[in-house]
Amino acid sequence: MNGAELTVCALEAEGVDLIFGYPGGAIMPFYDALLGGTIRHILVRHEQAAALAANGYARASGKVGVCVATSGPGASNLVTGIADAMLDSVPMVVITGQVSTALMGTDAFQELDVFGMTMPIVKHSFLPRRVDELPEMMREAFRIARSGRPGPVLIDLPKDVQTAPADHLRPLAPAHVPRPAADDPADLERALQLMRNAQRPVVYGGGGIGMACAVGEFRAFAEATGIPTVLTLKGLGALPAGHPELLGMLGMHGARSANMAVQESDLLIVVGARFDDRATGKLAEFAPHAKVIHLDIDAAELGKLRRAEVALQGDLGRNLTALSAVRPAIEPWRAQCFERRTRYATRYDAPGRGVYAPALLRKLSELAPRDAIVSCDVGQHQMWVAQHCLFNHPTRHLSSGGLGTMGFGLPAGIGAHFAEPDTTVVVVSGDGSFMMNVQELATLVRYQVPVKIVLLDNQALGMVRQWQELFFARRYSEIDLSDNPDFAALARAFGVPGYSLSLREHGEDALRQLLAAPGPALLHVSIDTQANVWPLVPPNHSNASMMEPDTDELALSA
Amino acid sequence: MSSRYRLDLVLRPAEGALLRALGVATRRGYTPVAVDAVASEPDGRWQVRLEIDSARSPDQLARQLEKLYDCLSVEVVPCTP
Repeated sequence: MNGAELTVCALEAEGVDLIFGYPGGAIMPFYDALLGGTIRHILVRHEQAAALAANGYARASGKVGVCVATSGPGASNLVTGIADAMLDSVPMVVITGQVSTALMGTDAFQELDVFGMTMPIVKHSFLPRRVDELPEMMREAFRIARSGRPGPVLIDLPKDVQTAPADHLRPLAPAHVPRPAADDPADLERALQLMRNAQRPVVYGGGGIGMACAVGEFRAFAEATGIPTVLTLKGLGALPAGHPELLGMLGMHGARSANMAVQESDLLIVVGARFDDRATGKLAEFAPHAKVIHLDIDAAELGKLRRAEVALQGDLGRNLTALSAVRPAIEPWRAQCFERRTRYATRYDAPGRGVYAPALLRKLSELAPRDAIVSCDVGQHQMWVAQHCLFNHPTRHLSSGGLGTMGFGLPAGIGAHFAEPDTTVVVVSGDGSFMMNVQELATLVRYQVPVKIVLLDNQALGMVRQWQELFFARRYSEIDLSDNPDFAALARAFGVPGYSLSLREHGEDALRQLLAAPGPALLHVSIDTQANVWPLVPPNHSNASMMEPDTDELALSA
Repeated sequence: MSSRYRLDLVLRPAEGALLRALGVATRRGYTPVAVDAVASEPDGRWQVRLEIDSARSPDQLARQLEKLYDCLSVEVVPCTP
């Protein structure tokens, strides 16, 4: 056995049965070792897609996603996918080949200091100089990736470490990741007291709920306390769409009723969320009257952007159960919140015959199976998905929240399919994003991955165009994509059935045809270039200043 | 208004540990103004005295440093002017 074979055995010992990657010179011993093992390797067509597929696999399954690439450009192409995992707390182990230790530091062919390059975007990284270090490093890599606030861990494997004899070594058993300790009962009691005294409490839930596997406890908490609830982009699904306590998403493109409730609240119960600027708007004016109870596994998030009256770092599920003991007497507040939810409910009766993307996405969500996974890209369509698709669990909504990675959707959707092969996976993309990893259509065909793609094509970089329209006096700079290829024909060239849709009246039939396709399929949807995402809180404005299509000038001057 | 603080760190003698700690400080908005780092005998652990200048709370930086796998301890020490 050599170091590469030991590495493969260590992956198997960690329960890894699937990895995503792309071979090359410095990682060849590892690829040779794969031939004798039980791990299935998915060959993508660009290393960035390997990282994003592993990322999507981890988001959908809750398991550690693994990707592999060679040194130099192979490693640097992984960087965006690693950063994406770091920003969204996704557990991943990333293995890169490296030139032999004797060549390191000599500018050897395809030598790149990926260990140094990725230092700010990994939870931790290892660079074994001797094969004896491998067993402990592999075990620690998986333990670190999945413990506490999850994240990516890099292992940079020099080629001579991969080829070194390792017969005297064995992989270690996976490390146990204990549940976090319980919080001090006195802190919990202080939180309960704040809840008893609150007149206008709001729960603000984020992605940490799903990552802590505390969705059940969160729902029980919302129902027991009856406190109106808002969710972040990453928190969507923590309460299922249509839940009686749910006001919707908060933030820049949040629901009006959600943002109004937060702004007027006197107590915010923040659950697995981190006061991200897209959620809070202008921080100094966010929920100005509210005291804060903040529950988060990451101590560095507590008090980072907003002081908390009570900070709870312990086990989220247990804490939520403990806080479910109080039901504040807030009927007038509940009635006010829910009346606004009705008053400001989304309307889908836009004029014209062209496809209205929000209505199409709502219909898509209604037609797809209830447990379908939607993986989206970044831009206007990403916000429309968040606003109009119906999610019943956070793992059903894959969205690049922190990094905002254009090109995320297709490879992440491929990863989600391999995590749940029997579940329908829909990729919603835009014409800008889709071209960033379009080569993965070949991966769909190679493995017959039955992902359904809805490509909303407005022939522009829509979100940038919207901001230039609203905040740069309609001075449009480098947003035109009117020379896009014929996407349906492009899909067919890869061997993926491609359809086109341009009229609203054909929308439902087109979606049914797409969802019924036996394998991968793409629906190219032409939408209006001028369409914008509403509501919108202008950057660095309070969430109280939401712009709507008919009142944007007024709202901006307010 | 910025203030000056010293953080006393103990780091594992691991690949990149020192760079990682300094990187966290600078990326999080804390300007290092003095660094004294010694690999101590016999275990090779880094004993680091990091003086920083920032308008941000040193406790926030300490929490970020505590998250580093190679960081064994952090102590914030106020600097006298």
